[in-house]
Amino acid sequence: MRLTVPIRAVFGLEIRTLLRDPRTLLISVVLPIVLIPAILIAGDWIESREARATEALSFRVAVEGDRVDLARALLLRVGDETPPGAGRDPTSRFQFVDLEEPGEALADARIDVVLHAMDYGTWMRGVEDGSVDPGPGGPPGEFDGAPRLQILFHSDRTSSREGAQALRRHLLDIREVRRDSILLAAGFPVPTDEVLVVESVNVAPPEAMEGAQLGRFLTLILLGLMTLGGSAIATDTLAGEKERGTLNTLLTSAARRQEIITGKLLAIMAVAFAIALIQILNLWLFLGLGIVDVGGALAVRIPPEAALLLLVLYLPAVALVSGVLLLTSAYARSYKEAQLYLTPVLLALVLPAAVPMLPGISLQSAILLVPIANLGVAVRDLLMGDIHIPSVMTAWAVTALAATWVTRRCVLAIQDENLLLGDRSQEEHTGGEGLFRKQVLVWVLVLWGVKILWDFNIPVQDLRWASLLGVGLVFGLFPLVVIRRFRLEPRRALALRMPHPGVWAGVLLGVPAGILTVLGVFQLVDTVVPVPTEMMESLGQALTPEAIPVWQLLIFVALVPGITEELTFRGVVLYGLRRRFGPVALALVVGLIFGIFHFSLFRIPTTATLGVILTAVTLLTGSILPAMVWHTLNNAAAVLASRDMLPGIDSEWLAEGVGWGWSVSGLVALGVAFAVIWRFRTPYPEVGPPRVG
Amino acid sequence: MTDPFVETRNLTKTFYEESRGEVRAVDSVDLTCRSGEILGLLGANGAGKTTTLRMLSTVLRPTSGEAWVMGHEVRKDPERVRENLGFYSASTALYPKITARETLRFFAQVNRFPRERIEARIEELIDRFGIGDFANSRVEKLSSGMKQKVSIARTVAHDPPVLIFDEPTVALDVLNAIELRQIIGRLRDEGKAILFSTHIMSEAEQLCDRIAIIHQGRILAVGTLDELRKSTGHHYLEEIFVHFARVRDPSEAEVESLRRDRP
Repeated sequence: MRLTVPIRAVFGLEIRTLLRDPRTLLISVVLPIVLIPAILIAGDWIESREARATEALSFRVAVEGDRVDLARALLLRVGDETPPGAGRDPTSRFQFVDLEEPGEALADARIDVVLHAMDYGTWMRGVEDGSVDPGPGGPPGEFDGAPRLQILFHSDRTSSREGAQALRRHLLDIREVRRDSILLAAGFPVPTDEVLVVESVNVAPPEAMEGAQLGRFLTLILLGLMTLGGSAIATDTLAGEKERGTLNTLLTSAARRQEIITGKLLAIMAVAFAIALIQILNLWLFLGLGIVDVGGALAVRIPPEAALLLLVLYLPAVALVSGVLLLTSAYARSYKEAQLYLTPVLLALVLPAAVPMLPGISLQSAILLVPIANLGVAVRDLLMGDIHIPSVMTAWAVTALAATWVTRRCVLAIQDENLLLGDRSQEEHTGGEGLFRKQVLVWVLVLWGVKILWDFNIPVQDLRWASLLGVGLVFGLFPLVVIRRFRLEPRRALALRMPHPGVWAGVLLGVPAGILTVLGVFQLVDTVVPVPTEMMESLGQALTPEAIPVWQLLIFVALVPGITEELTFRGVVLYGLRRRFGPVALALVVGLIFGIFHFSLFRIPTTATLGVILTAVTLLTGSILPAMVWHTLNNAAAVLASRDMLPGIDSEWLAEGVGWGWSVSGLVALGVAFAVIWRFRTPYPEVGPPRVG
Repeated sequence: MTDPFVETRNLTKTFYEESRGEVRAVDSVDLTCRSGEILGLLGANGAGKTTTLRMLSTVLRPTSGEAWVMGHEVRKDPERVRENLGFYSASTALYPKITARETLRFFAQVNRFPRERIEARIEELIDRFGIGDFANSRVEKLSSGMKQKVSIARTVAHDPPVLIFDEPTVALDVLNAIELRQIIGRLRDEGKAILFSTHIMSEAEQLCDRIAIIHQGRILAVGTLDELRKSTGHHYLEEIFVHFARVRDPSEAEVESLRRDRP
């Protein structure tokens, strides 16, 4: 690419504008530079303070039970028989308190730990009448007859938790010493060659460890910083120019669109790079001067030639990030709109940068095809000294290709008349449906925020309440609010129409076919990013807990989401977006929006697939009802399968992946189902951008 | 006679509007503009003036028809078209953070003015438009009159043969408007081909060599003021304008019947 005069002129203009705007400069450059070390210093200070505090903590212990004597003797004897490995006299950390009711004192936080010492008989009786907790080992085991020491504590209080841990470690140490001395005293011959000594020694070279640690975080940190730095100039550039009217001036000049975009892109990249570089120098300085000590990870020595290689490797990632920021700005009609889009865009950009942190991701997998993530993994491997040149080059090429594509989209965006002439905005004053069409994405974003805040901050243990409030209330209320706010006509906005009766046959065939297809998508995802098994199990438990009867699960897991989620996504969201895309893109977009409301990264592809299917059905039938029935049946089938209540279907089989054969058959059956629905179609009205003659 | 600097043939632009459906903002417009001539586009707001000029400046793509600037077609060779024209309108703003001088340099550069002559050209412009006193001040600090001077100077920074002024006086006070009209007159005398749109009758009367009356996307009449007077029998441009707009307005059927009745 040749740097033409117009490219250099646009680049110079952007940089000059940034440098001359004190506010932008402050927010995008100065603030992060000061902030990061400040955060580090503060974190360091808090951590060391906390460590000192725990270190200095002494724990108040009450002893109870019929073997108080034994407990005390054990703890007091240690003064002269400090177990090996203990640095200072541990008994000094325990302060013994005599109390009538230690249990109550523990509950009131007057003491930290209760040591309950019992004879075996007392313990057995206690377990039988329920007054004593049998403990994790449960009743009778290998130490029948031995006295029991139980440590009672409150895990919600730091002092109690730490005290219990310290006491436990301490007692175990004593027990070992005591056992050995008893054996010795009894003259028991211990043949040393039969004693097993187990030790673990970390033999990884320190560079590899530090490299691995650094490699996991480097991409995230760097991209995070660059995105933050680049976003200030990016929002100002195209969106700001539209608002100020300078874009109009620029577009009537002889500069090619490609030149304008290239100049602006280079400016964003330069700023992003400069900020990242300053930050790194900054960190190095702080670490070098010993002001902050965050461990060895960041202090790892990178030789200059490796640093250069890293720079070259990251180049397409920086270009892609800058391109996406520029594209966001190009699509926004005003500065304010651009800022609104920024948060989700930042999230989407940083997400792939976090992939190297996931365990067990190898570059020689499908992750190679995910831009940014692939470079992150490549850099991680590189820092660990594990270089596979063809993969690294592919990763580089894939991300570079993505960056080129995004840049191309930017060029198209500044040629898009609808985006350029955003000045016809009568709807903003008249309100109604037109206004809703404009604002629908903002509203979806707000709903998304509400849902996130809800799910992560309001812990509802009972699935039934979680479903009623977190799904039923949220997704049931949203359409109502939107319909009221924009005075929409409910039957149209929610597509409450009767479809052709023949459609139901397609739906009945489509539900199982859809499930197999979605399972296929899941397998596909699994080959790209292996889904941790624990995650699957915990998800299964979260969705279909054993304690709730099946009929209730069918209501709360199938019917409630089946109705309310459809009202929101295939109802008002689809209605609001219908003019923006053609039918295919519309199905994809609404499906994806549905997907991102299922926050777990691994669920997004599968739920998005289901979302696409449901949207397609709604678009073909012009009615929300088939999608509601489909969604409900789909979830109901999952509930029944998890309880092994579907005849002939084993839940294990579903959980372990049904295999490609079944998935492909599912896809084919889905095709047949859609053919049936197509045959009886009554399409959703007014889909797609208005046609220009 | 030399080839016209600007020519359009059947130039048409269709928009889709929610309330009205398909709208022909510009409908089969034929125009020419020669060197040393100011062609006025006279029409009410929404008549299609700005859309026509935006198509000529390649910001909008014509739905159909063709347009040439210095022999370059707007769709086939948009960069060459823009190299040969300067576009000025109330909505073409200046970058606030750079100085007047930097503004001129920037627009000379992006318009591919020969590099070795840029600095000399900047001095010439500063001198000619009386920018000297504030050439090194940032645009954001300038008064609206000063900004207007810089704006015109940047429009002609690359010395293009064709100039487009889209309702340039709309936001100006009387004195600034007069000054602008004088400048445009001088530019014509230098041999530029100038397209000038306005909805102000007196402005068109004073400034334009030929006037195109545009109404609902169509050119109803083109000619010198004298030609228009003769063909309508009215003296004032306002009456001439109303005359054409009336004929157009009643209904398509009526106009058709008028046409058919003609021998």
